[in-house]
Amino acid sequence: MARSLKKGFFVDPGLWKKITTAQEKDDRRPIKTWSRRSQITPEFVGLNLEVHNGKGFAPVHITENMVGHRLGEFAATRTFKGHQPHTKK
Amino acid sequence: MPRLLGVDIPGNKKIPFALRYIYGIGPTLADRLVKDAGLDPDVRANDLDEEQLNKISEAIVSEGILVEGDLRRDVSGNLKRLQAIQCYRGIRHRRGLPVRGQRTQCNARTRKGRRKTVGVMKKK
Repeated sequence: MARSLKKGFFVDPGLWKKITTAQEKDDRRPIKTWSRRSQITPEFVGLNLEVHNGKGFAPVHITENMVGHRLGEFAATRTFKGHQPHTKK
Repeated sequence: MPRLLGVDIPGNKKIPFALRYIYGIGPTLADRLVKDAGLDPDVRANDLDEEQLNKISEAIVSEGILVEGDLRRDVSGNLKRLQAIQCYRGIRHRRGLPVRGQRTQCNARTRKGRRKTVGVMKKK
């Protein structure tokens, strides 16, 4: 079930602070975050983030049509390099 | 054969069923449209006159229901957006794999298509 609209977007309070100060100062340096569960609000647009994927940080540049998605959607947690060829021993 | 909304030509079936040949109109919407237009659901689509057909198509347009080309464009636009922003769902669409977290070790044949058998290669 979808989240109630009355609550608005969820953003981790700590991350929210960083986002707002970065926007005020127009600071485009990447913000590192572990908060994959935070939703992208219009205030994020134009910022560079680095979202933790469990191992390292994936760079994410926030654009307008990413609003409403969660940060984790842009930092894949799995790397799949394809299957091994089947060889007979 | 009656024409509705330009391209669609539903057959010699009762109206609620004929309407379902239009892309974007399913059982519920078809039944409702017929009811709202005050038509008898047992009448065949062939037996409708211009006026009755117009009533249905007007209802579809005025309610802003997306059908046919507009709906297809809407859907493919959504897919394009997901793929353009590089999000997980977009990547799954591009790969042709299930999007909503289903398992893929077995099953998932609707998305993956026919089974591809992998042959054993001889070791040199």
